[in-house]
Amino acid sequence: MAKKKNTPMYLVALALFLGGLGYLLYSGLGENTAYFLNVSEALAMPPKELSKARLFGTVAEEGIDRPADALGVSFTLLDKDQTAKTIRVDFKGVVPDTFKPGVEVIVEGGVNPASGAFSASTLMTKCPSKYQKENRG
Amino acid sequence: MHVTAYFALLAAMIICLAGAVAALFALWRNDYGRLGMIEKGHLLATAGVVLASAILTVALWQRDFSFVYVAEYTDTLLPLFYALTAFWAGQAGSLLFWMLTLALFGVFFAVSPAYRSLSGPTRHAYWLFFLVVEAFFLLLLTGPSNPFLEAVPPVPEGRGLNPLLRNPGMIFHPPLLFMGYAGFAIPACLALAGWLTGERASFAAAARNTAILSWIFLSAGIILGGWWSYMELGWGGYWAWDPVENASLIPWLVSTAFIHTAIVERRTKALAKTNVALAVVTFVSCILGTYLVRSGVVESLHAFGEGGVAGPLLLFMLFTLVVLAAVLMAGAPFFADRVKPLTGLMSVPGFLVILAWLMLALSVVVFLGTLWPVISKLWSTNPVGLDAGFYNRVCLPLFALVTALVAFCPLMSWSEGVRDKAGLGLTVGAFVGGGAILYGLGIHLPVALFAGAASIAAMATVAYVFIRQRHARSLAGALGAYSVHLGLALVTLGIAFSGPYQLNQEAVLTPGKTMEIGGFTLTFKDLEFEENKAMAISRAVIDVTRDGKPVGVLTPERRIYTGFDQPFAEVSTIPSLGDEVYATLVSATEKKAASLKISVNPLINWIWIGGTLMCIAPFASLRRLRGKGE
Repeated sequence: MAKKKNTPMYLVALALFLGGLGYLLYSGLGENTAYFLNVSEALAMPPKELSKARLFGTVAEEGIDRPADALGVSFTLLDKDQTAKTIRVDFKGVVPDTFKPGVEVIVEGGVNPASGAFSASTLMTKCPSKYQKENRG
Repeated sequence: MHVTAYFALLAAMIICLAGAVAALFALWRNDYGRLGMIEKGHLLATAGVVLASAILTVALWQRDFSFVYVAEYTDTLLPLFYALTAFWAGQAGSLLFWMLTLALFGVFFAVSPAYRSLSGPTRHAYWLFFLVVEAFFLLLLTGPSNPFLEAVPPVPEGRGLNPLLRNPGMIFHPPLLFMGYAGFAIPACLALAGWLTGERASFAAAARNTAILSWIFLSAGIILGGWWSYMELGWGGYWAWDPVENASLIPWLVSTAFIHTAIVERRTKALAKTNVALAVVTFVSCILGTYLVRSGVVESLHAFGEGGVAGPLLLFMLFTLVVLAAVLMAGAPFFADRVKPLTGLMSVPGFLVILAWLMLALSVVVFLGTLWPVISKLWSTNPVGLDAGFYNRVCLPLFALVTALVAFCPLMSWSEGVRDKAGLGLTVGAFVGGGAILYGLGIHLPVALFAGAASIAAMATVAYVFIRQRHARSLAGALGAYSVHLGLALVTLGIAFSGPYQLNQEAVLTPGKTMEIGGFTLTFKDLEFEENKAMAISRAVIDVTRDGKPVGVLTPERRIYTGFDQPFAEVSTIPSLGDEVYATLVSATEKKAASLKISVNPLINWIWIGGTLMCIAPFASLRRLRGKGE
């Protein structure tokens, strides 16, 4: 086919392109990954591997420590299914007022090796979506 | 009424299947006498879908809580406007809306000159594919996702619409996405039909208007979604790379690639096979978007439940891809000697091909990134996910490159080389000069600097071609295309600055206290409380000054809607084309201590301005199909 004439240039361009993309992906996968874990899974891992993680869990009824007129909160995060598995979470930012005992939250941050507590940089309460009703069996 | 609506959908499904079988027989026996019957059948099926949709609309209007769907998403307090728009608040309703749009797109296409330009066999093949797609959606609607379930026993009051959806941005965001998704079925069916029957005229010409229109809807849906996220969710941003957002971005990326490679085919007859594949992949990616949102395969902030449609959607995607492969093989002999080779890389077609690579690479990155928690289980016992930083790092340089292509492409020749040397000089000058000015202003991040310079260059190029070329100014010419690219340049500028140069600060203030951010002084005046039948409001009043001069007043609110024990934040901004101050009241106590989240977003409004231009300008590119092709 007459197509051959232009093919090498496209191949060179494609190689350059894929090389650049590969580099971006490589660096992104190296630095921007985090474990997505339930509390029980996090507890099963050695703390030093948990310098970056996103934890899913439920806020415990007991043990919410919150300064009255300042930022931040400390609380106990329960595993969604096995409520005996818990981890202490320290959060420094603005606490959303959807935050209360019993809600599902997502925290991002890492385990502080000294205290063993999870210091969170973000705290999100799960969107109470009604897009789809839950299946109630 | 429940039964009538359900049977209307069931009858529509049977008619679609019968029509598809009739079309298949016609193709099989080379007997094309019954086209009129198939077309009438489609009209009849559409009538059934319209009837069902009308029944749902009336039920929503009357708050007829004997419909489970109405009871789930409305209540008697909900204003009529929001009650009607609850049509697409849930899965079953949104699928019905998708089906309705699909059927109407089909009806309008069947009376268009583009449809009449097709040969008899191709029309039959088109109906075969299109009716199968419709039958699939009707299957979902009459099976796992039925909007007409009856509440037994009837409930006295509905559960009400999610307050997050009570915002004009959210009201029109989902239907626009669905209209875009629905429309892309037509290019896909035309692509398969034309390739299967060896149609002389390229499907790219016949599909042009539908593809552009669908792209407009999809783009508008995405931009409105970003605006809604910014104005309603109150976290200070507009795009979080959440799986649900990514699900709508993937079809946009693939369809953008398709629309550009289709231009190459219409002008030079190259890339015919690529376009068939891209048209179908665009359609599949629309289904994929719905699958990601509805299947629960990925943990998302949005708690969409599994609605029983995930399995069918997955199967239908695989089925479509198998059909694509089969059709590509079956039709290949027709096209062996018809397709022209692609010109060199340094030409308009070459640039458009690179753009398609960029778009496809972006869609693959977003797709893999979204599924990474699932994929990583192959080698890791615990799922590994990617944060927003990953997408920003990988995708933003590629988007900046897209803007650079937009800056230089209009100056290239269709055959080979540079067409306009003076223009090239101007664009390079704008790129270097713009970059130098931005650097001087303190923009030192490489990607933001490159993107900013590229968008300045792109704007200069568009201005240059508008002045120099009559073709670029005229409605019949490229006015629409150049205006879209101008919009893109503005969006790039907005993203490049508002992302990395956003300032954020959080504080707990009591009345009389002040805080400083980015040269602004914010004084917390008071916390007001207000209560009415529909909601209880707490409102912070904040005076904003810059260098002692008043800039405006921010009044972020927290609202507790009747029927929902969760408070919702109402963001407040001081609109500006430069630095926009943005405030969210995160929580408030009885003692009037307010937790505030304040951000300063530079150039953010250019995203909405450019985005609006991107959605309006393509209308100028729609045109009647004249004679054979273009």
